[in-house]
Amino acid sequence: MKGWHGRLLNIDLTTGRSWPEALSADLLQNYLGGRGLGVRLLRDFYQLDPFDPEMPLVFAVGPLCGTAAPTAARLSVVSRSPLTGTIYDCSAGGRFAWRLKAAGFDALKIVGRSSAPVALGITPQGGEFLPADQLWGRRITETVQALETKGSVAAIGPAGENRVLYANIMMGEGNSVGRGGLGAVMGAKNLKALVVDGQLKTSIVDQQRFTEARQDVIRLFKASPVIYGDLGIANYGTPALVDLMAQRRMAPTENFRKTVFADADQYSGPAIRKAFQPKNHGCYGCPIQCKKSLQDGTPLPEYETVNHFGALNGINDLRSIVNSNNLCNQLGMDTISAAASISAWGEARGRFPRAEEIGALLQEIAARQGDGDQLAEGAKRLTQKLGKPQLSMSVKGLELPAYDPRGAYGMALAYATSNRGGCHLRAYPISHEILRKPVATDRFDFAGKARIVKIAEDCNASIDSLVACKFSFFGASLEEYAELLSAATGVEYSPQALKTIGERIYLTERYYNQQLGFSCQDDLLPERFFTEAGSSGDGIEVPPIDRSRFEAELQKYYRIRGLDSQGRFIQADFLEQQP
Amino acid sequence: MIRQIEKYADKLYADGSALPGRTALLAQDDCLLTWGAEELFSLGRAIIERLNVVSLVLAQPALPFMELLLQRVAEAETQLVPLDTETRTFLHDIPLVRKSDFSHADPQHLVELLGQRKGILVEGVGILATGSVTVEQAYINYSSVYHAVYVKTLFDLLCAAPPSETELQLLQPLWAQLEQPIASRVADLYQGELAEKSQILAAMQQAGLRTVELKLVDSFFGNLSCGQGDQLYISQTGASLDDLAGCIDLVPNDNSSTAGITASSELIAHRAILAETGAATILHGHPKFSVILSLLCDETACGITDCWKDCAKVRYLGPVPVVAGEVGAGGIAKKVPPVIAQQGIAVVYGHGVFAIGQQDYRQPLEAMIALENWCREEYLRRLKLRCPQMNLQETL
Ligand code: SF4
Ligand SMILES: [Zn+2]
Repeated sequence: MKGWHGRLLNIDLTTGRSWPEALSADLLQNYLGGRGLGVRLLRDFYQLDPFDPEMPLVFAVGPLCGTAAPTAARLSVVSRSPLTGTIYDCSAGGRFAWRLKAAGFDALKIVGRSSAPVALGITPQGGEFLPADQLWGRRITETVQALETKGSVAAIGPAGENRVLYANIMMGEGNSVGRGGLGAVMGAKNLKALVVDGQLKTSIVDQQRFTEARQDVIRLFKASPVIYGDLGIANYGTPALVDLMAQRRMAPTENFRKTVFADADQYSGPAIRKAFQPKNHGCYGCPIQCKKSLQDGTPLPEYETVNHFGALNGINDLRSIVNSNNLCNQLGMDTISAAASISAWGEARGRFPRAEEIGALLQEIAARQGDGDQLAEGAKRLTQKLGKPQLSMSVKGLELPAYDPRGAYGMALAYATSNRGGCHLRAYPISHEILRKPVATDRFDFAGKARIVKIAEDCNASIDSLVACKFSFFGASLEEYAELLSAATGVEYSPQALKTIGERIYLTERYYNQQLGFSCQDDLLPERFFTEAGSSGDGIEVPPIDRSRFEAELQKYYRIRGLDSQGRFIQADFLEQQP
Repeated sequence: MIRQIEKYADKLYADGSALPGRTALLAQDDCLLTWGAEELFSLGRAIIERLNVVSLVLAQPALPFMELLLQRVAEAETQLVPLDTETRTFLHDIPLVRKSDFSHADPQHLVELLGQRKGILVEGVGILATGSVTVEQAYINYSSVYHAVYVKTLFDLLCAAPPSETELQLLQPLWAQLEQPIASRVADLYQGELAEKSQILAAMQQAGLRTVELKLVDSFFGNLSCGQGDQLYISQTGASLDDLAGCIDLVPNDNSSTAGITASSELIAHRAILAETGAATILHGHPKFSVILSLLCDETACGITDCWKDCAKVRYLGPVPVVAGEVGAGGIAKKVPPVIAQQGIAVVYGHGVFAIGQQDYRQPLEAMIALENWCREEYLRRLKLRCPQMNLQETL
């Protein structure tokens, strides 16, 4: 086998055992790796409680990891989310993924619960259990520093230990496995960190063909204004979107009561550049390097983070926002959900927190002390407790990121259909509705969006399984990645074949969710978006979303997906029919 | 969605790239929509239903390039490698399928190829192109393939085997088109300095539309900008030149806002040209004969193989300079500014033309028209030289 190693490492934290297991070529070719492989490996476990010791936590790389394929040094972590209750995966870049592949494994499957805090050392020889009592309670940087002589580190912070429902797993270089709280799943296993090392090469079948496909990708990156343009993400990072979202009047402000924040220019891409003269950095081996950091290496916030610690909480102080980002990274929790939970809480009690109050709140959340204990449960549970469930701006319990659905109707639909809850990356309609890639669509029109969303969900499920970065696709397409994959593995893949794999993965996730009790009642946006207008102005009208149009398009989506009008599977034996 | 289909069907006819009666457009929402030549529906349906896409165009090119291409390429050839750099960048090679290689009843072979590429060439049918987001996307992919085939066929007539009499006959409609130079219809366009925002936007829309109406370019290929003080108005990436309303970004030169992240991928080139030349306006498009002639090179002892990006020479089409350089963050922004002031116009190898104006869009548009007319004449002149035994005039 080329591209893949065909090996998985099992780890049982309860018994302290680790043992390799062969992965069949068939399984790998049908699910690729990353998200797809992880989701498949959960088939017999997805009904377990996220905090059940036997619930697996899967770390899976893809066939392109370890090669020179652009943006492919990534992995997906898959389990069930304690925040949403859905099947959950998150992709992250970094040296950790690369090293895991170089240790000779396509995936790690971790089950059980250690009786005491433990760290796992992973080498080509297998797993080693390292006592971690001394590390428990420590922040991310300290934890990484304590372990990094042994290899690349992925760790949880206090938030994961204390089961904050949106706790992250943090990669040593600052990349995060974010949003759905897989850090809490790791914490529940008493697993503080993993450290991987290895030097194995990922061999490629056809080097010449691979090199040509790689050149094609790079040429497309260069032709993409969003990637390498003067104003693109390679230059400004994702905060390049601040100005654009302000101009399009769809930047969520004050818990989505408004869609424009007058002071957004305080934390825009140019403002960040001016304030910090940041360094470029990014995921390991990525030619785009969209992440920006302070000169000392401290990561600067992404677009979603600046908006949510900024506009969403009515804060215009860039330094406070950078601090909040930094604290979340150190405590190991998701910036979007943390900021959105604070914002919902702010609206519920009639006052958004001041910039100087945020730091203490974040620490309380990670420690589950004071108000932090409620905030650690996420916006949905929090607002339910406060008797104001309508103030939770979330879908399936996942707090919405920084694209107001009233300003992009494909995004509205995609939030609803996302099988990990309110996430912008499943179908990423912002790409065409706002950034005009690969072509522009009318953001205030539902027409055609159902199929566009469906196709994009399929594409992205396969991209998450390769595992490549979504940002590549502001320039390249599945065509070039299929070519890279075919050249690497010697198995012929077409874009169409990748979409078919993506569809299988997507439907499998939806099937799991259905078995877990999710229904069309959960494919819904918060009421606010149907009843309150956004902030119109500058010739742009931002009305509430027309509910009947939304529902009609959702019905279309179900039909296109082959589901019934309640969004349910028509074949009861769907899962048995899958490879 | 039916509105979208009609809009792009109209465009296919208006730009003269597809043959009426031999063109069909299919799109699927939650049901399948069809438009155009009914005899293509069953083939189209059999294809689109097996692909995870939104739209499909099947059309016979209005000019008989397919016939020429199929006669010229070896029987064993299964793809066409575009010569123009945009198509090469975005579509790579274009699969070529002969009649004998597929059946209308079961077009699985075509399905597989369209599962790999955004556009393919099929004997007897024409160009097939898909879109996975919109109907427009299938139209754009169709146009790109058409452009590639046009450029490749006419280039080969000059540089590969000389045309046979049959070929010259087949291309009769083209020669007839070329007989009429493109009219220099600019007198009714905005004249003088463009100062007000509304005036600038209107002038840009007007110039874009005219460039398409004159058939200088297909609507999707091109962009334009207008400098104003310390900022720049520029068309957005993927905007159609004949449909620019709402698709123009204002970009400050000091990058104090990044809202222009949606601007044309040539923003860097536009900025560099304006800075270097002090011009007020820029028009960029891909007129076909300028592109074809830019590919001609008399060098015999040059070691460079990727001329389109690596050639360091400045060559000339008449007085107009030709340089090489990649799209976007590649070389255009470096290579064009130093040469464009000479004539107010410059050509990028295998790609297209940049023209500048001191005030409005009349000057760049006129220059682009003049160059394209010159290139058409020069093309015919060279073609006649290649086949002295034939009297091209008579064939016309
Ligand atoms: S584009 Fe950015 S997020 Fe994506 S792989 Fe590169 S550095 Fe990482
Ligand atoms: Zn161009």
